[in-house]
Amino acid sequence: MAEPIISVEDVGIRFNRGRRRKRSAKEMLTKGKTGTPRAEFWPFRHVSFDIYEGESIGVIGRNGVGKSTLLTMLAGTLVPDEGKVTVRAGVAPLIAITGGFVGDLTARENIHLVAGLHGMTRKEIAEAFDEIVEFAELGDALDTPFKHFSSGMKVRLAFSVVVRLREPILLVDEVLAVGDRAFRRKCMKRIDGLLGQGQTLFLVSHSEGSLMRFCTRGLYLKDGGLAADGPIQEVIDMYKADTGGEDGEDEQYEDDTMATGDPGDTDEMF
Amino acid sequence: MTTSIRGRSTGFTSGGTLNPVERARRVWEFRRILALLIGRDLRVRYASSMLGYVWAVLDPLALSVVYWFLFTQVITRRVGFPPYILFLVAGQLAWQWINGSINGTLGALRSESQMVRSSNVPRELWVLRVVLSKGVEYVFSLPVLAMFAVAYTKAPNHYILYFPLALLMAVLFATGIGLILAPAAVLVRDLRSVVRISTRALFFLSPILYSLHDLDHGGRKANIKDIVSWNPVAGIMSLIRAPFFPQELNWADVEHAAIVIVVIFVIGVWSFNRLERPMLKEV
Repeated sequence: MAEPIISVEDVGIRFNRGRRRKRSAKEMLTKGKTGTPRAEFWPFRHVSFDIYEGESIGVIGRNGVGKSTLLTMLAGTLVPDEGKVTVRAGVAPLIAITGGFVGDLTARENIHLVAGLHGMTRKEIAEAFDEIVEFAELGDALDTPFKHFSSGMKVRLAFSVVVRLREPILLVDEVLAVGDRAFRRKCMKRIDGLLGQGQTLFLVSHSEGSLMRFCTRGLYLKDGGLAADGPIQEVIDMYKADTGGEDGEDEQYEDDTMATGDPGDTDEMF
Repeated sequence: MTTSIRGRSTGFTSGGTLNPVERARRVWEFRRILALLIGRDLRVRYASSMLGYVWAVLDPLALSVVYWFLFTQVITRRVGFPPYILFLVAGQLAWQWINGSINGTLGALRSESQMVRSSNVPRELWVLRVVLSKGVEYVFSLPVLAMFAVAYTKAPNHYILYFPLALLMAVLFATGIGLILAPAAVLVRDLRSVVRISTRALFFLSPILYSLHDLDHGGRKANIKDIVSWNPVAGIMSLIRAPFFPQELNWADVEHAAIVIVVIFVIGVWSFNRLERPMLKEV
Protein backbone atom coordinates (compact mmCIF):
# COMPACT_ATOMS: atom_id res chain seq x y z
CA MET A 1 0.00 0.00 0.00
CA ALA A 2 1.12 3.54 -0.67
CA GLU A 3 2.45 5.84 2.00
CA PRO A 4 -0.33 7.18 4.24
CA ILE A 5 -1.35 10.75 3.46
CA ILE A 6 -1.71 11.46 7.18
CA SER A 7 0.25 9.70 9.93
CA VAL A 8 -0.55 10.34 13.55
CA GLU A 9 1.91 8.64 15.86
CA ASP A 10 1.41 8.41 19.60
CA VAL A 11 0.05 11.93 19.75
CA GLY A 12 -1.07 13.72 22.88
CA ILE A 13 -1.76 17.31 23.81
CA ARG A 14 -1.93 19.07 27.13
CA PHE A 15 -4.04 22.03 28.11
CA ASN A 16 -4.24 24.06 31.24
CA ARG A 17 -7.57 23.73 32.89
CA GLY A 18 -9.60 26.71 33.89
CA ARG A 19 -8.93 30.27 32.98
CA ARG A 20 -6.71 31.12 30.09
CA ARG A 21 -3.36 31.04 31.68
CA LYS A 22 -2.13 34.53 31.10
CA ARG A 23 0.42 35.63 33.56
CA SER A 24 1.92 38.98 34.29
CA ALA A 25 5.59 39.53 33.67
CA LYS A 26 6.09 39.66 37.43
CA GLU A 27 4.57 36.22 37.92
CA MET A 28 6.63 34.92 35.05
CA LEU A 29 9.82 36.21 36.61
CA THR A 30 9.05 35.06 40.13
CA LYS A 31 7.60 31.65 39.28
CA GLY A 32 9.66 30.87 36.24
CA LYS A 33 8.41 30.41 32.75
CA THR A 34 7.85 26.70 32.89
CA GLY A 35 6.87 26.31 36.51
CA THR A 36 4.47 23.41 36.88
CA PRO A 37 0.98 24.61 36.09
CA ARG A 38 -1.45 23.59 38.78
CA ALA A 39 -4.18 21.95 36.76
CA GLU A 40 -3.33 20.48 33.42
CA PHE A 41 -5.27 17.92 31.52
CA TRP A 42 -4.77 15.83 28.43
CA PRO A 43 -7.82 15.60 26.20
CA PHE A 44 -6.17 12.56 24.65
CA ARG A 45 -2.84 10.79 24.64
CA HIS A 46 -1.17 7.99 22.68
CA VAL A 47 -3.43 8.39 19.68
CA SER A 48 -2.12 6.74 16.53
CA PHE A 49 -3.66 6.17 13.14
CA ASP A 50 -2.80 6.32 9.45
CA ILE A 51 -5.01 7.71 6.77
CA TYR A 52 -4.62 6.85 3.11
CA GLU A 53 -5.52 8.97 0.16
CA GLY A 54 -9.19 8.96 -0.70
CA GLU A 55 -10.39 7.78 2.70
CA SER A 56 -13.18 9.67 4.41
CA ILE A 57 -12.95 9.67 8.17
CA GLY A 58 -15.55 10.70 10.69
CA VAL A 59 -14.48 11.63 14.21
CA ILE A 60 -16.93 10.85 16.96
CA GLY A 61 -16.95 11.52 20.65
CA ARG A 62 -18.62 13.48 23.39
CA ASN A 63 -18.00 17.16 23.83
CA GLY A 64 -14.56 17.95 25.18
CA VAL A 65 -12.78 14.76 24.15
CA GLY A 66 -10.59 16.71 21.76
CA LYS A 67 -12.20 16.12 18.37
CA SER A 68 -11.65 19.68 17.24
CA THR A 69 -8.21 19.73 18.82
CA LEU A 70 -7.27 16.69 16.75
CA LEU A 71 -8.57 18.36 13.63
CA THR A 72 -6.67 21.56 14.40
CA MET A 73 -3.48 19.52 14.74
CA LEU A 74 -4.03 18.05 11.30
CA ALA A 75 -4.47 21.60 10.03
CA GLY A 76 -1.09 22.39 11.61
CA THR A 77 -2.28 25.21 13.83
CA LEU A 78 -1.79 23.28 17.04
CA VAL A 79 1.38 21.35 17.74
CA PRO A 80 1.15 18.11 19.75
CA ASP A 81 3.01 17.97 23.05
CA GLU A 82 3.73 14.29 22.51
CA GLY A 83 4.19 12.26 19.39
CA LYS A 84 4.22 13.33 15.81
CA VAL A 85 1.75 14.36 13.15
CA THR A 86 2.81 14.03 9.53
CA VAL A 87 0.62 15.36 6.77
CA ARG A 88 1.95 14.57 3.32
CA ALA A 89 -0.26 16.78 1.20
CA GLY A 90 -1.92 20.16 1.24
CA VAL A 91 -4.81 20.74 3.60
CA ALA A 92 -7.96 22.79 3.12
CA PRO A 93 -9.19 23.45 6.64
CA LEU A 94 -12.89 24.21 7.07
CA ILE A 95 -12.24 25.03 10.72
CA ALA A 96 -13.09 28.42 12.20
CA ILE A 97 -13.03 29.39 8.57
CA THR A 98 -13.90 33.03 8.94
CA GLY A 99 -10.76 33.43 11.05
CA GLY A 100 -8.40 34.63 8.37
CA PHE A 101 -10.82 37.25 7.10
CA VAL A 102 -10.21 40.88 7.97
CA GLY A 103 -13.25 42.92 8.92
CA ASP A 104 -12.07 46.18 7.42
CA LEU A 105 -11.23 44.73 4.03
CA THR A 106 -13.84 44.14 1.36
CA ALA A 107 -14.94 40.69 0.24
CA ARG A 108 -12.80 41.09 -2.87
CA GLU A 109 -9.66 41.95 -0.89
CA ASN A 110 -10.38 39.18 1.59
CA ILE A 111 -10.63 36.57 -1.13
CA HIS A 112 -7.20 37.56 -2.38
CA LEU A 113 -5.74 37.65 1.10
CA VAL A 114 -7.13 34.40 2.43
CA ALA A 115 -6.64 32.40 -0.75
CA GLY A 116 -3.10 33.78 -0.82
CA LEU A 117 -2.50 32.81 2.80
CA HIS A 118 -3.57 29.29 1.96
CA GLY A 119 -1.05 29.21 -0.84
CA MET A 120 -2.92 30.08 -4.01
CA THR A 121 -0.96 32.14 -6.51
CA ARG A 122 -2.26 35.39 -7.91
CA LYS A 123 -3.03 33.66 -11.19
CA GLU A 124 -4.89 30.81 -9.53
CA ILE A 125 -6.94 33.28 -7.52
CA ALA A 126 -7.82 35.23 -10.64
CA GLU A 127 -8.99 32.01 -12.28
CA ALA A 128 -10.99 30.92 -9.27
CA PHE A 129 -12.36 34.34 -8.37
CA ASP A 130 -15.65 34.26 -10.27
CA GLU A 131 -16.36 30.72 -9.15
CA ILE A 132 -15.79 31.69 -5.51
CA VAL A 133 -18.02 34.73 -5.77
CA GLU A 134 -20.73 32.82 -7.51
CA PHE A 135 -20.64 29.93 -5.05
CA ALA A 136 -20.76 32.30 -2.10
CA GLU A 137 -23.86 34.00 -3.52
CA LEU A 138 -22.38 37.37 -2.71
CA GLY A 139 -24.45 39.33 -5.19
CA ASP A 140 -23.37 42.94 -5.22
CA ALA A 141 -21.68 42.78 -1.83
CA LEU A 142 -18.26 42.17 -3.38
CA ASP A 143 -16.91 45.56 -2.36
CA THR A 144 -18.60 45.69 1.02
CA PRO A 145 -16.33 45.48 4.09
CA PHE A 146 -16.40 41.99 5.52
CA LYS A 147 -17.51 43.24 8.94
CA HIS A 148 -20.81 44.41 7.48
CA PHE A 149 -21.67 40.91 6.29
CA SER A 150 -24.24 38.83 8.10
CA SER A 151 -22.77 35.80 9.83
CA GLY A 152 -24.35 33.56 7.23
CA MET A 153 -22.72 35.51 4.42
CA LYS A 154 -19.37 35.40 6.18
CA VAL A 155 -19.47 31.64 6.43
CA ARG A 156 -20.64 31.29 2.84
CA LEU A 157 -17.73 33.35 1.58
CA ALA A 158 -15.22 31.58 3.78
CA PHE A 159 -16.49 28.15 2.77
CA SER A 160 -16.32 29.10 -0.88
CA VAL A 161 -12.71 30.20 -0.64
CA VAL A 162 -11.45 27.26 1.38
CA VAL A 163 -13.28 24.61 -0.60
CA ARG A 164 -11.88 26.11 -3.80
CA LEU A 165 -8.31 25.61 -2.56
CA ARG A 166 -8.46 22.13 -4.10
CA GLU A 167 -6.09 20.63 -1.62
CA PRO A 168 -6.11 16.83 -1.43
CA ILE A 169 -7.16 16.82 2.23
CA LEU A 170 -10.34 18.49 3.42
CA LEU A 171 -10.83 19.03 7.15
CA VAL A 172 -14.37 19.83 8.20
CA ASP A 173 -15.49 20.84 11.67
CA GLU A 174 -19.26 21.09 11.75
CA VAL A 175 -19.13 24.45 10.03
CA LEU A 176 -21.57 23.05 7.56
CA ALA A 177 -24.24 23.44 10.16
CA VAL A 178 -24.17 27.16 9.56
CA GLY A 179 -25.86 28.96 6.72
CA ASP A 180 -29.33 28.49 5.37
CA ARG A 181 -30.69 25.21 4.21
CA ALA A 182 -30.19 25.81 0.52
CA PHE A 183 -26.54 26.74 1.00
CA ARG A 184 -25.91 23.75 3.24
CA ARG A 185 -27.34 21.50 0.60
CA LYS A 186 -25.00 23.11 -1.91
CA CYS A 187 -22.04 22.51 0.39
CA MET A 188 -23.01 18.88 0.76
CA LYS A 189 -23.18 18.48 -2.98
CA ARG A 190 -19.80 20.10 -3.38
CA ILE A 191 -18.25 17.77 -0.81
CA ASP A 192 -19.90 14.78 -2.47
CA GLY A 193 -18.37 15.89 -5.73
CA LEU A 194 -14.94 16.24 -4.16
CA LEU A 195 -15.17 12.80 -2.58
CA GLY A 196 -15.95 11.40 -6.00
CA GLN A 197 -12.69 12.88 -7.22
CA GLY A 198 -10.64 11.10 -4.60
CA GLN A 199 -10.59 13.82 -1.96
CA THR A 200 -9.49 12.74 1.49
CA LEU A 201 -12.01 13.93 4.05
CA PHE A 202 -11.69 14.31 7.79
CA LEU A 203 -15.01 15.24 9.36
CA VAL A 204 -15.88 16.11 12.94
CA SER A 205 -19.60 15.96 13.46
CA HIS A 206 -22.31 15.03 15.89
CA SER A 207 -24.75 14.36 13.13
CA GLU A 208 -25.21 10.69 12.40
CA GLY A 209 -26.71 11.64 9.07
CA SER A 210 -23.66 13.43 7.78
CA LEU A 211 -21.25 10.89 9.22
CA MET A 212 -23.08 8.07 7.49
CA ARG A 213 -23.39 10.00 4.28
CA PHE A 214 -19.78 11.05 3.88
CA CYS A 215 -17.60 8.74 5.92
CA THR A 216 -16.51 5.17 5.53
CA ARG A 217 -14.25 4.97 8.52
CA GLY A 218 -14.81 6.22 12.03
CA LEU A 219 -12.49 7.28 14.83
CA TYR A 220 -13.99 7.30 18.31
CA LEU A 221 -12.32 9.48 20.92
CA LYS A 222 -13.17 8.59 24.50
CA ASP A 223 -11.60 8.79 27.96
CA GLY A 224 -8.42 10.47 26.82
CA GLY A 225 -7.61 8.20 23.95
CA LEU A 226 -8.69 6.57 20.74
CA ALA A 227 -11.37 4.04 21.73
CA ALA A 228 -12.20 2.71 18.29
CA ASP A 229 -11.05 2.88 14.70
CA GLY A 230 -13.15 1.00 12.19
CA PRO A 231 -16.05 1.09 9.74
CA ILE A 232 -18.21 4.09 10.45
CA GLN A 233 -21.36 2.13 11.26
CA GLU A 234 -19.62 0.00 13.88
CA VAL A 235 -18.02 3.02 15.47
CA ILE A 236 -21.30 4.90 15.61
CA ASP A 237 -23.01 1.90 17.16
CA MET A 238 -20.28 1.68 19.74
CA TYR A 239 -20.66 5.35 20.55
CA LYS A 240 -24.41 4.96 20.87
CA ALA A 241 -23.99 1.96 23.13
CA ASP A 242 -21.63 3.94 25.34
CA THR A 243 -23.88 6.94 25.60
CA GLY A 244 -26.88 4.84 26.53
CA GLY A 245 -28.22 3.74 23.21
CA GLU A 246 -31.85 4.45 24.07
CA ASP A 247 -33.89 6.74 21.96
CA GLY A 248 -33.75 9.45 24.57
CA GLU A 249 -29.99 9.52 24.46
CA ASP A 250 -30.12 9.53 20.73
CA GLU A 251 -31.98 12.77 20.79
CA GLN A 252 -29.36 14.20 23.07
CA TYR A 253 -26.83 13.20 20.45
CA GLU A 254 -28.73 15.11 17.81
CA ASP A 255 -29.13 18.05 20.15
CA ASP A 256 -25.42 18.64 19.99
CA THR A 257 -25.76 19.44 16.34
CA MET A 258 -28.56 21.81 17.01
CA ALA A 259 -26.52 23.62 19.59
CA THR A 260 -23.78 24.41 17.11
CA GLY A 261 -25.94 24.83 14.10
CA ASP A 262 -29.23 26.08 12.91
CA PRO A 263 -31.90 24.95 15.34
CA GLY A 264 -35.03 23.38 14.09
CA ASP A 265 -34.18 21.29 11.09
CA THR A 266 -31.53 18.85 12.12
CA ASP A 267 -33.05 16.08 10.08
CA GLU A 268 -33.12 18.19 7.01
CA MET A 269 -29.56 19.18 7.49
CA PHE A 270 -28.10 16.74 5.09
CA MET B 1 -15.03 21.87 -11.05
CA THR B 2 -12.80 22.51 -13.98
CA THR B 3 -9.47 21.28 -12.69
CA SER B 4 -8.72 18.22 -10.67
CA ILE B 5 -7.49 18.15 -7.12
CA ARG B 6 -3.78 18.46 -6.81
CA GLY B 7 -1.54 19.38 -3.97
CA ARG B 8 -0.19 22.88 -3.72
CA SER B 9 2.00 22.54 -0.68
CA THR B 10 3.92 19.48 0.34
CA GLY B 11 2.39 19.07 3.76
CA PHE B 12 4.14 19.30 7.07
CA THR B 13 5.32 17.47 10.13
CA SER B 14 4.56 18.73 13.59
CA GLY B 15 5.50 17.50 16.98
CA GLY B 16 8.89 16.84 18.43
CA THR B 17 11.28 19.63 17.61
CA LEU B 18 11.99 21.04 14.21
CA ASN B 19 15.59 21.91 13.64
CA PRO B 20 16.37 25.50 12.66
CA VAL B 21 17.35 24.52 9.13
CA GLU B 22 14.00 22.84 8.58
CA ARG B 23 12.26 25.91 9.97
CA ALA B 24 14.22 28.24 7.72
CA ARG B 25 13.36 26.05 4.74
CA ARG B 26 9.65 26.33 5.58
CA VAL B 27 9.88 30.10 5.88
CA TRP B 28 11.58 30.24 2.49
CA GLU B 29 8.88 28.02 1.03
CA PHE B 30 6.30 30.57 2.15
CA ARG B 31 8.19 33.67 0.99
CA ARG B 32 5.44 34.51 -1.46
CA ILE B 33 2.89 34.72 1.34
CA LEU B 34 5.33 36.87 3.29
CA ALA B 35 5.48 39.23 0.33
CA LEU B 36 1.69 39.25 0.19
CA LEU B 37 1.44 40.25 3.85
CA ILE B 38 4.09 42.93 3.53
CA GLY B 39 2.39 44.28 0.43
CA ARG B 40 -0.87 44.54 2.32
CA ASP B 41 0.80 46.34 5.23
CA LEU B 42 2.35 48.86 2.88
CA ARG B 43 -0.91 49.40 1.03
CA VAL B 44 -2.61 50.15 4.33
CA ARG B 45 0.27 52.41 5.36
CA TYR B 46 0.38 54.41 2.16
CA ALA B 47 -3.30 54.09 1.30
CA SER B 48 -3.87 57.83 1.53
CA SER B 49 -1.13 58.26 -1.07
CA MET B 50 1.11 61.27 -0.35
CA LEU B 51 -0.21 61.91 3.11
CA GLY B 52 0.49 58.34 4.18
CA TYR B 53 4.10 58.84 3.24
CA VAL B 54 4.26 62.15 5.08
CA TRP B 55 3.02 60.55 8.28
CA ALA B 56 5.60 57.79 7.96
CA VAL B 57 8.54 60.23 7.93
CA LEU B 58 7.06 63.11 9.91
CA ASP B 59 7.64 61.53 13.29
CA PRO B 60 11.42 61.01 13.01
CA LEU B 61 11.78 64.38 11.28
CA ALA B 62 9.92 66.27 13.98
CA LEU B 63 11.98 64.55 16.66
CA SER B 64 15.17 65.35 14.77
CA VAL B 65 14.26 69.02 14.70
CA VAL B 66 13.50 68.96 18.43
CA TYR B 67 16.83 67.30 19.26
CA TRP B 68 18.65 69.61 16.88
CA PHE B 69 17.19 72.56 18.76
CA LEU B 70 18.03 71.02 22.12
CA PHE B 71 21.61 70.12 21.28
CA THR B 72 22.66 73.09 19.18
CA GLN B 73 20.68 75.95 20.66
CA VAL B 74 20.08 75.03 24.31
CA ILE B 75 22.88 72.69 25.31
CA THR B 76 25.91 73.90 23.49
CA ARG B 77 28.21 71.05 24.37
CA ARG B 78 28.98 69.48 21.03
CA VAL B 79 27.73 65.96 20.35
CA GLY B 80 27.77 64.04 17.12
CA PHE B 81 29.24 65.58 14.01
CA PRO B 82 28.20 68.54 11.90
CA PRO B 83 25.94 69.01 10.09
CA TYR B 84 24.16 67.81 13.20
CA ILE B 85 20.69 67.74 11.62
CA LEU B 86 21.93 65.30 8.96
CA PHE B 87 23.58 63.26 11.70
CA LEU B 88 20.28 63.20 13.60
CA VAL B 89 18.00 62.40 10.69
CA ALA B 90 20.24 59.51 9.61
CA GLY B 91 20.04 58.10 13.12
CA GLN B 92 16.37 58.83 13.74
CA LEU B 93 15.09 57.20 10.57
CA ALA B 94 16.97 53.98 11.32
CA TRP B 95 15.93 54.07 14.97
CA GLN B 96 12.31 54.49 13.93
CA TRP B 97 12.61 51.19 12.06
CA ILE B 98 14.30 49.31 14.89
CA ASN B 99 12.00 50.73 17.55
CA GLY B 100 8.89 50.22 15.42
CA SER B 101 9.88 46.62 14.75
CA ILE B 102 10.53 45.79 18.38
CA ASN B 103 7.26 47.29 19.55
CA GLY B 104 5.41 45.98 16.51
CA THR B 105 6.47 42.37 17.01
CA LEU B 106 4.72 42.42 20.39
CA GLY B 107 1.46 42.30 18.49
CA ALA B 108 2.78 40.21 15.59
CA LEU B 109 0.98 37.10 16.82
CA ARG B 110 -1.41 38.48 19.40
CA SER B 111 -3.22 40.97 17.19
CA GLU B 112 -3.32 38.46 14.34
CA SER B 113 -4.60 35.66 16.53
CA GLN B 114 -7.41 34.78 14.13
CA MET B 115 -5.01 34.47 11.22
CA VAL B 116 -2.46 32.57 13.27
CA ARG B 117 -5.14 30.10 14.31
CA SER B 118 -6.59 29.59 10.88
CA SER B 119 -3.65 29.29 8.53
CA ASN B 120 -0.73 26.96 8.72
CA VAL B 121 2.00 29.30 7.61
CA PRO B 122 5.27 29.09 9.54
CA ARG B 123 4.63 31.25 12.59
CA GLU B 124 7.96 33.04 12.14
CA LEU B 125 6.37 34.70 9.14
CA TRP B 126 4.25 36.94 11.38
CA VAL B 127 7.39 38.31 13.02
CA LEU B 128 9.31 38.73 9.76
CA ARG B 129 6.35 40.49 8.25
CA VAL B 130 6.47 43.24 10.90
CA VAL B 131 10.24 43.67 10.69
CA LEU B 132 10.33 43.69 6.90
CA SER B 133 7.37 45.99 6.32
CA LYS B 134 8.92 48.49 8.71
CA GLY B 135 12.19 47.91 6.86
CA VAL B 136 10.60 48.74 3.53
CA GLU B 137 9.11 51.86 5.11
CA TYR B 138 12.61 52.77 6.24
CA VAL B 139 14.03 52.34 2.76
CA PHE B 140 11.18 54.46 1.41
CA SER B 141 12.14 57.19 3.87
CA LEU B 142 15.73 57.38 2.61
CA PRO B 143 14.97 60.06 -0.02
CA VAL B 144 14.30 62.37 2.91
CA LEU B 145 17.82 61.71 4.14
CA ALA B 146 19.12 62.32 0.64
CA MET B 147 17.34 65.68 0.63
CA PHE B 148 19.17 66.74 3.77
CA ALA B 149 22.45 65.55 2.27
CA VAL B 150 21.80 67.65 -0.82
CA ALA B 151 20.85 70.64 1.29
CA TYR B 152 24.20 70.42 3.10
CA THR B 153 26.04 69.46 -0.11
CA LYS B 154 27.34 66.26 1.46
CA ALA B 155 28.11 63.58 -1.08
CA PRO B 156 28.17 60.01 0.23
CA ASN B 157 31.56 58.29 0.26
CA HIS B 158 32.34 54.68 -0.65
CA TYR B 159 31.08 53.41 2.70
CA ILE B 160 27.65 53.51 1.14
CA LEU B 161 28.57 50.09 -0.29
CA TYR B 162 28.28 48.71 3.26
CA PHE B 163 24.73 49.96 3.59
CA PRO B 164 23.20 46.55 2.72
CA LEU B 165 25.25 45.07 5.56
CA ALA B 166 23.66 47.60 7.91
CA LEU B 167 20.22 46.60 6.66
CA LEU B 168 20.99 42.92 7.15
CA MET B 169 22.23 43.55 10.68
CA ALA B 170 19.13 45.56 11.53
CA VAL B 171 16.85 42.85 10.11
CA LEU B 172 18.59 40.10 12.09
CA PHE B 173 18.61 42.19 15.27
CA ALA B 174 14.92 43.13 15.08
CA THR B 175 13.92 39.62 14.01
CA GLY B 176 15.86 38.04 16.86
CA ILE B 177 14.18 40.30 19.40
CA GLY B 178 10.82 39.80 17.69
CA LEU B 179 11.10 36.01 17.83
CA ILE B 180 11.53 36.31 21.58
CA LEU B 181 8.83 38.92 22.15
CA ALA B 182 6.02 37.86 19.81
CA PRO B 183 5.14 34.52 21.47
CA ALA B 184 5.97 35.90 24.91
CA ALA B 185 3.45 38.70 24.39
CA VAL B 186 0.74 36.10 23.84
CA LEU B 187 1.63 34.28 27.06
CA VAL B 188 2.23 37.28 29.27
CA ARG B 189 -0.13 40.16 29.83
CA ASP B 190 1.93 43.23 30.61
CA LEU B 191 4.90 42.88 28.35
CA ARG B 192 4.05 45.97 26.34
CA SER B 193 4.89 48.50 29.01
CA VAL B 194 8.09 46.68 29.92
CA VAL B 195 9.18 46.76 26.30
CA ARG B 196 8.21 50.39 25.84
CA ILE B 197 10.34 51.43 28.78
CA SER B 198 13.22 49.25 27.61
CA THR B 199 13.22 50.63 24.10
CA ARG B 200 13.14 54.17 25.44
CA ALA B 201 16.15 53.39 27.58
CA LEU B 202 17.85 51.74 24.62
CA PHE B 203 17.31 54.90 22.61
CA PHE B 204 19.31 57.02 25.04
CA LEU B 205 21.91 54.30 25.61
CA SER B 206 22.54 54.07 21.87
CA PRO B 207 24.59 56.55 19.89
CA ILE B 208 21.67 58.14 18.07
CA LEU B 209 21.69 61.66 19.47
CA TYR B 210 25.41 61.44 19.99
CA SER B 211 28.39 59.62 18.60
CA LEU B 212 30.36 56.86 20.30
CA HIS B 213 33.26 59.31 20.13
CA ASP B 214 31.43 61.55 22.60
CA LEU B 215 31.75 58.78 25.17
CA ASP B 216 35.49 58.55 24.71
CA HIS B 217 36.84 60.56 27.61
CA GLY B 218 40.34 59.18 27.29
CA GLY B 219 42.16 58.19 30.44
CA ARG B 220 43.23 54.78 31.59
CA LYS B 221 40.22 53.67 33.61
CA ALA B 222 37.42 51.55 32.20
CA ASN B 223 35.76 53.50 29.50
CA ILE B 224 31.97 53.72 29.15
CA LYS B 225 32.50 53.74 25.41
CA ASP B 226 33.83 50.21 25.54
CA ILE B 227 30.59 49.07 27.12
CA VAL B 228 28.25 50.97 24.80
CA SER B 229 30.19 49.74 21.80
CA TRP B 230 28.70 46.29 22.53
CA ASN B 231 25.24 47.76 22.03
CA PRO B 232 24.27 46.34 18.62
CA VAL B 233 22.46 49.56 17.73
CA ALA B 234 25.80 51.36 17.92
CA GLY B 235 27.34 49.17 15.23
CA ILE B 236 24.29 49.53 13.00
CA MET B 237 24.28 53.32 13.46
CA SER B 238 27.96 53.66 12.69
CA LEU B 239 27.54 51.72 9.44
CA ILE B 240 24.48 53.72 8.46
CA ARG B 241 26.13 57.06 9.13
CA ALA B 242 29.51 56.21 7.64
CA PRO B 243 28.62 57.33 4.09
CA PHE B 244 28.30 60.89 5.40
CA PHE B 245 30.36 60.68 8.58
CA PRO B 246 33.32 58.39 7.85
CA GLN B 247 34.82 59.18 11.26
CA GLU B 248 31.82 57.31 12.75
CA LEU B 249 32.90 53.97 11.35
CA ASN B 250 34.95 51.80 13.61
CA TRP B 251 35.06 48.19 12.49
CA ALA B 252 35.55 46.99 16.05
CA ASP B 253 32.11 48.40 16.92
CA VAL B 254 30.59 46.66 13.91
CA GLU B 255 32.17 43.37 14.90
CA HIS B 256 30.86 43.73 18.44
CA ALA B 257 27.41 44.46 17.07
CA ALA B 258 27.57 41.48 14.71
CA ILE B 259 28.51 39.14 17.55
CA VAL B 260 25.71 40.38 19.81
CA ILE B 261 23.18 40.29 16.97
CA VAL B 262 24.04 36.69 16.10
CA VAL B 263 23.69 35.72 19.76
CA ILE B 264 20.31 37.47 20.04
CA PHE B 265 19.15 35.87 16.82
CA VAL B 266 20.12 32.39 17.99
CA ILE B 267 18.34 32.96 21.29
CA GLY B 268 15.34 34.20 19.33
CA VAL B 269 15.18 31.09 17.14
CA TRP B 270 15.59 28.85 20.18
CA SER B 271 12.99 30.61 22.30
CA PHE B 272 10.47 30.83 19.46
CA ASN B 273 10.78 27.10 18.98
CA ARG B 274 10.16 26.62 22.68
CA LEU B 275 7.27 29.04 23.10
CA GLU B 276 5.45 28.29 19.87
CA ARG B 277 3.56 25.31 21.30
CA PRO B 278 2.11 27.04 24.38
CA MET B 279 1.56 30.18 22.30
CA LEU B 280 -0.67 28.33 19.83
CA LYS B 281 -2.88 27.16 22.69
CA GLU B 282 -3.32 30.64 24.10
CA VAL B 283 -3.45 32.81 21.02
